[in-house]
Order: sequence, then structure tokens, then C-alpha cells
Amino acid sequence: MRRSRLTRQLMATTLPLALIVGSGIGIATADPMLARNMSTYGMPGGIDTPTAEAMAEGTLAATVSLSDYALRSNVLFQLTPRLTTAFRYSRIEGINDARNSGSIYDRSFDFRYQLVDEDGWRPAIAIGLQDFLGTGVYSGEYIVATRNITPTIRASAGLGWGTLAGKPRIIDAGDEGGTANVEDWFRGGAAPFASVSWQVSDRLNLQAEYSNDIYRAQYRLNSGALVTQQQGDTEPGRVNLGLTYQMGRSYQLGLYTIGSETIGAQFTVALNPRDAVYPSGLEPAPAPVRPRPARAADPEGWSGQWSQDPTAQPAIQTALSNALAGEGQILQSMALAPTRAEVRIRNTRYVHQAEAVGRTARLMTRALPPSVETFVITLVERGIPVSSVTLRRSDVERLENTEVGQIAQASVLSDAVPYPGDLVRTPGAYQRFTWNLGPYLATSLFDPSDPFRYEVGAEARASYEIVPGLVLSGAIRQRAFGSIDKEAPGGLSPDEYEAQDSDIAGNGVPRVRSDSRMYSGTTSPTIPDLTLAWFARPTDQVYSRVTVGLLERAYGGVSAEALWKPVNSPLAFGAEVNRVRKRDFDGGLGFRDYEVTTGHVSAYYEFGQGYTAQVDVGRYLAGDVGATLSVTREFANGWRVGAYATETDLSAEEFGEGSFDKGLTISIPLAWATGQPSTQRVGGTLRSLSRDGGSRVRTDGLYDRVRDSHATQIYQGWGRFWR
Amino acid sequence: MIGYHVRAGMAACALLMGLSACSNTPAGQEGSGIGTALRQAAAEAVAARRGSSEAPVAPRTPQQRAEEALRLNPGPLIMVGLENLGTTQIMALTGQNGAMRTYMTPNEQALILRGGMLVGTRGLGNDMSVTEPQTETLIRNGQSGSGQRILRYYTGDGLETPLRFDCTTGPGPNPGIMVENCAGHGVTFQNNYQVQGGQITVSRQWGGPALGYLTIQTLRP
Repeated sequence: MRRSRLTRQLMATTLPLALIVGSGIGIATADPMLARNMSTYGMPGGIDTPTAEAMAEGTLAATVSLSDYALRSNVLFQLTPRLTTAFRYSRIEGINDARNSGSIYDRSFDFRYQLVDEDGWRPAIAIGLQDFLGTGVYSGEYIVATRNITPTIRASAGLGWGTLAGKPRIIDAGDEGGTANVEDWFRGGAAPFASVSWQVSDRLNLQAEYSNDIYRAQYRLNSGALVTQQQGDTEPGRVNLGLTYQMGRSYQLGLYTIGSETIGAQFTVALNPRDAVYPSGLEPAPAPVRPRPARAADPEGWSGQWSQDPTAQPAIQTALSNALAGEGQILQSMALAPTRAEVRIRNTRYVHQAEAVGRTARLMTRALPPSVETFVITLVERGIPVSSVTLRRSDVERLENTEVGQIAQASVLSDAVPYPGDLVRTPGAYQRFTWNLGPYLATSLFDPSDPFRYEVGAEARASYEIVPGLVLSGAIRQRAFGSIDKEAPGGLSPDEYEAQDSDIAGNGVPRVRSDSRMYSGTTSPTIPDLTLAWFARPTDQVYSRVTVGLLERAYGGVSAEALWKPVNSPLAFGAEVNRVRKRDFDGGLGFRDYEVTTGHVSAYYEFGQGYTAQVDVGRYLAGDVGATLSVTREFANGWRVGAYATETDLSAEEFGEGSFDKGLTISIPLAWATGQPSTQRVGGTLRSLSRDGGSRVRTDGLYDRVRDSHATQIYQGWGRFWR
Repeated sequence: MIGYHVRAGMAACALLMGLSACSNTPAGQEGSGIGTALRQAAAEAVAARRGSSEAPVAPRTPQQRAEEALRLNPGPLIMVGLENLGTTQIMALTGQNGAMRTYMTPNEQALILRGGMLVGTRGLGNDMSVTEPQTETLIRNGQSGSGQRILRYYTGDGLETPLRFDCTTGPGPNPGIMVENCAGHGVTFQNNYQVQGGQITVSRQWGGPALGYLTIQTLRP
């Protein structure tokens, strides 16, 4: 079972050849029809209209497009070679809602599926849903065909419904939105659209299109009256023109006209996880394997006699510990016997645990006497052993500089099993106290009244590992300046809200997240978190965590978690229980009155090919009961893009706008972008809206930490063993 | 002891606040902030630039550098030119496993050679993990023939990815030079080897799409 999964993972590369061989060389490939420019909706397209093109699989692209009609911020993810998804946050001009500010803010999701690729005479054909969660200003559906006419000219034609047909859907002003209105799809009359694009040079692309979008929005008010509002100042003409200019491999600049009156500009950043600047990383070469001398040349070393010398192990352990430290590996402890050595290491440098294991194995060939034939490398997370890779030293010697599948077949991955009794802690080499003082930048995106807010200040962070697995850590922040200010919910001023001194909203739902802005903008020092955490492994396959203290910005208390995860199992189960109390808004040590017990049972499954899923069922912060489903796509290089949705027993009205909690998570290893080895990641969560329903306490969960050293993850990154 | 260190460190950091971060953790380690890693990357990039721009200050020909290296280092040495980058580096033997030899530069970039045949590279950013050349015996024996050459790369997706090329070998126009022509994936390349007693002493070998050609010369076997 394990072998076949392993082989599949190692052999599975779906990398388009263009990315391996580089585009500088004239190569013939059979990639699907890839987009050359982005539309104002951040999707492959003309200017406003869609095409049947896709992006290279895995592409993550952000497009900001600005005209008199709207400011659209779009994030696109090419989930599979044929399925394109997009999240959009727009400021739509010319439309008034209750705030009467002359514009509205709107979130929307798109799906597009390429049914067939271009083949001979047949064009590529795609079907798509635009703004399909709830009825929105941009809601519409389409079927579109795209075909190359000449090597540089590409034409598209399609049929659109809703906005794309110039027949905007009627928006119910009382609706909370957020759920799909399937009965409206592909209804209400269709109209044709078309576009053509000309690739003038490697960098310059020109587009022209015929679009039916009349840029109107129709609302049905609570009174039953129908209101039509014009976006922007005037209804545009039907013909739009555009040009895009490609800069480097990641950036694209665009200018366009909507009709004859309106000019717009846009900027796109597109990243493909497979297209790293330094695919192999820039870390220095590893120390090569040192083969053992012939038996006759070192009879004492081969006999194991050396182990009788009490100074042998300390000397070897110190030397190995120093060498490993140079590789960013902390040698926590070591057991040394005449024919077997086990090292327990904490990897602080490489994204791939396999690279840490490979480098450690090579250093072991250089440090250990010849009689040691069995190498056990145990990976440690938070002081607890998480998995062990067992290798024969002769295999490491024999297989250096061979195809990586061979050493994979020769290795055994197991749950970390305590070796009888003789593990020796490395004295001094264990850095127990760490601290860091520096500036921080916090950003808040897609807020209805200000899409980009930031805060800059200083942060001091420290942690002390009392014994392996028992960690005291905390941070202090001092804001310097920024645009993230203290804000109260419900149209109150922060002072009024504080004076109200209630943690329950008018509709009876506890305010667990909707007043989270009250925690912002504090000008005195704040404590983002301050905890004592205890990590343990009660049995070989069960991991546990207990955290006490200020768990996060808004909650403090006790959090306990257990996780069952056998090393070679794609399935895991977990349970988490938290007793928490809401913290004071000033970010200090005080608490408010709201207290709740929340918790979940979780099931995790790794489907292979980079897909994982997680289901959590339990009680959320506001006391609501429900479930969360998360699906994540991850790449061997550490890129992760996921989506989640939470449904609880709060009604859509109680929940408010958006009806239920949903969002996207993105996490990119910094090493992928810079080439410098590092375990750090950048990313975040794009939530639809910060509401009270379906909210959870943010805790330092066990699953991702444990899984990193388990079969699926370690073998997915096994290609780096000899790097 | 720890307390003292922290206070001293804090004072220094306070002076630098807003410009940089201070920490007692090595860069790249978890918890040491994104800014730290980016600064580190930038500093290294700057250092690398400086290194290359300093070269003209002390203009030395590759020949002069080779002579100096031979004088200072008693072990086996090779001189390697990366044509794409226009750089020439001297590399010293740092490990031998059977016929496989690892040569490194002082800044720990490495080539792995087997009897002069390029088998892998490390630390160059677009590294070849390992090459399996079926044509190796033909080249060492000075024979004409054909065979497959599999070049494996660390690719951006985190996997080790093979590229297969069909190659033919034969004597080149100059005496003593073997030529290997390879084609595959719409790419062609030509490797040239000077073979003496089965060992490749001077060669020009293709390292890959991003790496380009390497010229490898044995300074001391």
C-alpha cells in the first residue's frame, strides 16, 4: 500500500514542459490554450467579456482594474487545468445603498470550466458562472468558444445571460445573499458577445470586443418597488478596446476603453507555483557522503570497540550537532550504539523535511564510526518526535547521486518509536530561549469602507522552551501609525459601544467577531498573545496539546487538543475543546463578561495528488452548532490554496450579509519566491465577511505540524532528498 | 547570562528600530519574521553583485587564478566556466564516493563529476539533480553510436523531474575530441569531450535549459 502510493507520488509530475525547458527555447508542447491577457474581471478574457482560455494549472493571479464604472480587485486560482475560479471585491460606482455614499462594495465568486480544448478545426469551449453566489450586480452566465485564427490572432464568440446579455438580474434588497440562485442561471434571455485579440509582439497584445453589458443594476426594495440605477455616469457603447503589456514573467499592465467615453487601467500579478525563479533553491551544496574506509584500514572503527570509550559519544555528538547547526538542524538528542545511531532533529531551515533528512544522513556518514550501519533520523516538532526515517548507511553510500526513487525505496518511514533508554540530550546546543524585536506590518484588505488598511509598529516576541514540549511564549506590540482604527459595530462610536458594555447584538447573537475592530487602533502597548503550551505524545500515534493564556487577540483561556495520526495513514482524527473568555478591547490582561465553551471533532483526509479535505463538527464561538468543510490543493513545493465553508444553526438572517461563513486560504513558502532556504510562509485568509456565526478561536493546531513529517508530505517532497 | 545578553541586544536593537529587526535566531528560522528573511535575501543578492563587480578591480585572467589555486591547494582542482553567466570558477575536490567526485567553490556551489562527465550540480539555483548517460562508455572509448541521456532536475514544483534526450556520439572535426549530439523536447544540444585514457580532461557540457553550457577543465586530476 505504502509503496504504491509512494511510487505514484514520486512519479507524478504534471509539469508542463514549457516550464521545465524554459520559454526561451523554441519548444513544441501540447499545453491547453493558455490566456494571453486578463479581463477587467481578472479572468482570461477580452476586456469585459469572457473567453474559453485558461491559465496554466495552479496559477494564482491578482488583478486590480480601475475605471469610472468600478474598482475591481480580483484573485484568480486555476484549480485544475480546466477549472478556473475567481474571487472579486468591487467598488461599484454610481449606485447608492443605505449608506448613500454614491458607490457600493460587493464581493463575488466566479467559476469557469473549459469543456474541450482547441483541437484542429474545433475551438476551445468553456461554460462559466459570474457572480453566482447570490444575486449580484455582476451576475451572469455564458458559453463561449475560442479559436486561434492565425498564430497571433485569436477570436472568441459566445452567448451570455444576465449582465452579459444586458439584462441585469433583479436584486432583492432584503436578501442576505451568499447562496446560489440556481433557478436564475441561463435564464431571462441570451445575447451574443465576441472578442478578438492580437499578439503584436512578445509583450504587446491588443483586444477588441463587442459586449452587451449596459452597466445597470436593478433592485427590488423592501417596499416592493423596482429601482434601476446606472453604474458610472452613462451607459457605455457596445465596443470596447484594450491593450496589455507583459513585463517579465509575472506582471501585466493594461489600458482599456469601455465604450467611447470611459478609459480604464489595470495591473495583474500572476504567479505559478511551478515557475520558481530558482527551482532548486539557492542553498549551498550539501556536504557529500564520506564512504567508510576499508575494514583493514580501520579495524577498531569497524569492530565497534570505540563504543567502550565513554568520551566517544559526547565527542561525536558535539561534532555532529555543530555540523547540523550549520544546516539549520537542531540536534535535540542522540542515541549511539555500535551498529545503530538515532538522531532527533528539529528542522528550522528547509521547506521539505526530506531535504533535512537527506542532509542529515550525509553528515552522519561523515561523523559516525564505520560500524554504525543503521541510521534513524527522527523529526521533532514542538519538542515531540513525529516520525522516523530509517536508512542503511550502505544504501546512503551506494545511492548518492542516483535517481531519488531509489533511496525512497530503500528507506523506511515509521512512527517515532522511543529507542530503549539511551537517548542523550545535546547539552548547550539546544537553543531554549529565542527572541525577536522588529517592525510589524498588519494589513486589512477588502473592508467595505476602505479596501486597504494598514498598521505599522514595533513587536517584541520571545519564547522559552522550559523542557522539550513545554513552551512559554508571548509578544508585545506598540502601534506607531496606520489607518486601521478602532471601530464599533452597529453604527456606534467606539466610546458609545464601550459604554453600552454588552457582548450581545440586537438580534440576540453574541458579538464574538463582528466587533473585532474594537481590538484595533490601540495606541498603548498590546499583548497579541501570551501562552504556556504543552505538547506531548501520549501514544505512538496520538499527539496532544494544552495551551493556557491569552490565546489570541480577542480570546483567552484554556485550549486542549488531541490528534490521532499514524505516520503512513492518509486519515486522521482530532478533537479540540476550548474554554475561553473574551478579552478587553485594550489588548491588555483584562477580560470582558462573555465566556463560552467551544470545541470540535475533526476528520482529515489526504486524497493524494495534492488534495486534502477536513471536516470539523462542533460548537462555535457564539454557541452556534454546525460544521466546517475545508478543501485544500497543495503542491510538492509547499504552495497551498484552499477554500472553506461553515454552516451553523444560525439562520441566514441571524448571520447577516453573506448568509454563512466562507473564504479562501493562501499560503506560499517564502523560499519559493526568494530561493533562500526558509520555513517561513506568506499568505492569509480571504473571508467573505467577518461575522459572528461559524467563528472559532485561533489556536496553534497540531495537524499541519505533525503532517509535515508524515508519509504524504515527506514523500511529496522526497525529490529534494539529495539536494 | 541570558538576561544580560538580552538587555545588551535590546539596546542595540532600539537604535535600529524601524530600519531593521533584531533577533537571536538565525535567519530563515521559524519565528524570525518575514522582513528578516527578505533582508537576508537582499543582503546576499547585494553581496553577490558586489562580488562580481569587484572582480574588475583586481583583473586576473582565469589562467592567473588557476595558477594561484594550484599553488595554494594541493588537491584535485577543476576550472569551470558557466557560459550563461559569463563566470569562471575554480573548484576543489571535497568528496569522493566511488568514481563520483564532488567539487566545490569556496561559497559552496558544487559540481558532481564521474571521470569528468557531468553528473549533477548543487547550489546554482537551477540545479541538475543527476544525469544518467547511456552514451558514457561510447564517449570514453571514442566510439560512434547512440543512446539515451536522462537529465533529472529539481523543478519549481518541488519534484525531481526527468528529461529524456536521444543522443549520438562520434569523433569531432578536431582530433581527440568526441562529440555527442542530443535532441528531445524540441531542444538540441552538443557536448564536446577531450578524452585521454578513458578520462575526460576538458569538456563543454550542457547543464540544462536554464544553466546552459559549462566548460570544465581539469587543472589537477
